[in-house]
Amino acid sequence: MNDPANILEMRSMTKTFGGVRATDNVSFEVKDRAITALIGPNGAGKTTVFNLMTNVFPADEGDVIFLGKSIRGIPPMAVAGLGLIRTFQSARVFPGLTVLENVLVGRHRLVKHSGGSQLLWTRGSRGEERELRERALAMLDLVGLSQFRNIHAVDLPMGGQKMLEVVRALMSRPRLLCLDEPAAGLNDTETAELAILLQAVRAAGIAILVVEHNMSLVMNIADHIVVLDAGSVIAAGAPAAVQVDEKVIEAYLGREENAAA
Amino acid sequence: MAEFIQISIGGLLVGTIYALIALGFSLIYRVTGMINLAQGGFAILGALVGYSFSQSLGLPLPIALVGAVLVTTAAGTLLGALTFVPGLKKLSNANVLMLTVGMLTLIEGFLLVIWGSQPYSVPAYTGEEPINFHGILIPTQTFWIVGTAVAIILCLWLLLAHTTLGRALRACAENSGAAMLMGINVRRMTIFSFALATMIAAIAGVVVAPTTTFQFDTGRLFTISGFIAVVIGGIASFPGAIVGGLMLGLVTQLATAYVSSLFSNAIALIILLFILIYAPTGLIPSRIVRRQDVREEPRAWGHITRLSPTVAWSAAALALCGMLLLPLLVTGTIISSLTIAAIIFIALIGLDLLMGYTGQVSLGQAGFMAIGGYTAGYLTINYSVEPLIGIVAGVLISLICALVLSIVTLRLRGLYLALATLAFGLLIDSCAVGFIDITGGPSGMVGIPPFSVGSLYFDTPLSMYYLVIGVNVVVIFLLFGALRSNFGRALQSIRTDQMAASALGINIVRYKLVAFVASAGLASLSGSLLAFSFNFLSPDMVGTNRSLELVSMLVIGGEGTLVGPAFGSILITLLPTIFQPLALYKTMFSGGLLIICFLYLPRGIYGLIAALLSRISPRTDGNTERSEGLVQGASR
Repeated sequence: MNDPANILEMRSMTKTFGGVRATDNVSFEVKDRAITALIGPNGAGKTTVFNLMTNVFPADEGDVIFLGKSIRGIPPMAVAGLGLIRTFQSARVFPGLTVLENVLVGRHRLVKHSGGSQLLWTRGSRGEERELRERALAMLDLVGLSQFRNIHAVDLPMGGQKMLEVVRALMSRPRLLCLDEPAAGLNDTETAELAILLQAVRAAGIAILVVEHNMSLVMNIADHIVVLDAGSVIAAGAPAAVQVDEKVIEAYLGREENAAA
Repeated sequence: MAEFIQISIGGLLVGTIYALIALGFSLIYRVTGMINLAQGGFAILGALVGYSFSQSLGLPLPIALVGAVLVTTAAGTLLGALTFVPGLKKLSNANVLMLTVGMLTLIEGFLLVIWGSQPYSVPAYTGEEPINFHGILIPTQTFWIVGTAVAIILCLWLLLAHTTLGRALRACAENSGAAMLMGINVRRMTIFSFALATMIAAIAGVVVAPTTTFQFDTGRLFTISGFIAVVIGGIASFPGAIVGGLMLGLVTQLATAYVSSLFSNAIALIILLFILIYAPTGLIPSRIVRRQDVREEPRAWGHITRLSPTVAWSAAALALCGMLLLPLLVTGTIISSLTIAAIIFIALIGLDLLMGYTGQVSLGQAGFMAIGGYTAGYLTINYSVEPLIGIVAGVLISLICALVLSIVTLRLRGLYLALATLAFGLLIDSCAVGFIDITGGPSGMVGIPPFSVGSLYFDTPLSMYYLVIGVNVVVIFLLFGALRSNFGRALQSIRTDQMAASALGINIVRYKLVAFVASAGLASLSGSLLAFSFNFLSPDMVGTNRSLELVSMLVIGGEGTLVGPAFGSILITLLPTIFQPLALYKTMFSGGLLIICFLYLPRGIYGLIAALLSRISPRTDGNTERSEGLVQGASR
């Protein structure tokens, strides 16, 4: 059943909020080393899927298989520890830290030297810190944020904060990167840069699951598309196939317009 | 039986007072989601103004009382409008709570300046002769207090349930954002609720005054009791505030009568801890639920300054040289004061780790100082152990206590955590006063030997000064290594956004625990050194006042900056020594300074100095560094 080409499998996930079925029997796969897009109209349950995946709240039914193992019910911190890193719909950079420091926090789960050796200024921990900073600067350079490295992260414009969050997630060397509307609040230039960045990430062998409203971005970069409507998966497949799927058109445009067309 | 009824009546009387204070808490909480700890201060302000009007000016009693309530309400509302209301917009929840501590300190300082430190008492309104009801004596003031309480509750209920104004207030409580969109002036409503709560406190103070003696800092007790009452009852619920207050009064009075006065506090605090752990919403939960700091909105964050390593290291070296050479320049009294400031600074570093970096409020830090001080003192006096072993024993006990406390309070955030730590501090405080055989009770522990290692004695002020400076340097050096690395960043990310932090794989529970335990260890060390330095330790040196003072010093110095709190510690400790005649103004000054720092200097004195240093220091050439980074990044 478990296909090694799938890095993540959602199996019949159901979550009810006070009688409302936020997700209903949602199943889909995320292929390794590919970009999968999760799309759907507002309120379709996309963010709920993210929260169920990372166990921000527990699912009522169903299972999540990540790297061949069930991760249902393990705390968000441990999910991240396995290499499933997510971002948030509204950019959540850490206030009180500079841009550079925000990126460094991303590396947290991979830091080898403990607080104890940092306390004692050991050679190893200092070396690791220096290496970390270089890597973080290189990452910031990649997205054109390095000139802002010492400013307060919340002083960045919205687009910069979204980009910073992606970079921070990348710093933690994810196996699967889950992005919740990364292009929201970005202008066209920034969106184009984001597309290039995401393709580079895929080329580096990291799988991406992206929730996005920007259709041109999705059609441009996604290898697979999963369409969610009213808490259920209504279509899944390659962009070209999904684009002409009648159910998808109906969900986005409504029945009347579809009939008129 | 008659005795039981007699005591119960006394308990209900005290409970009514707590309930009135709690009612004010609950009112402000409903509208703003915050607790105003200055509430008890307003009560005493009312009582003292009433005293002056009726006793000193000789005004007729009704006029004096109404005048006192009006004056207090006006003054309180003004203070609230100038500090609390702007604070709500700018500060995080935890910091607003601390801001109200500053307001309480300011009020107390003001009362101290005007009315001095002596206790006051006023006669009952209608004679001192109690009414004898089948052998049970009821003081006539009881009827005034209960009558006033019932009248207040009735008026409040009518106001909230049956007027447009009340509806607007409730709208603010349910959803202030939506209320604003509906055209309700939320700011005005906040001020109005603050005024109303102040008035309730003032009335409570005025009617309660005849039943007790009171002085400038009695308000603190009212605040603490009211705070406990409101949490027992349910923080946003009016019936909860009343039930909580009455229950607290009853339990403490019965416990005092039938067990002992030591255990009356302890029992109240244990009830509180149980409620915090098992039913944090209180006995009568309200529908109004306010989220406690899952994610801190980025409103508290002004500009942040990071000094370049060169500047930071030179400044540190300069400061260290200054500290080492200082004894050549100034008198012994100043050196003694500086020694105390430096000892307190050790506890402050711990508190900074906990509050400044991790964002966990602690109002009971002096409890650990007490554990450290008393343990070290007791062991060295009674078992003649090496002082160093005494210190280590104190630290170990503190670590264990901190571990237990933090595991118990792990789920608590914001206000509730503040309260739990406050309760812990009070518990330790009442132990220090009560276990006379071990601690020497209220009069203190005498005959603690000076600190020594082997045959090396630190018995002169100068040697103690250098020892403490040495300890400071070591602690700062060690922590600086951790705080500028991964460890410190993890703490800071937890402070501001726990959800995002855990999504990056940061173990929130572990880091909070480490921060809490480390801060307890440092506080304990500080307490031990304080005991060795004075050769004496009394409960008020390491009591709740000290805990609150630590918070003031932290904020004034600059939280989240590691070395910043030193400025706060030195300023607050040293100023009264240098300006002896102004010592009377110390409390008022530190309260005012705390408020100013919260509202206008979020990084305290350190922030000012750092901004200054980074302006005069030459800019590092960012371009070179950047291209280096690019080259290294590309080669990877």
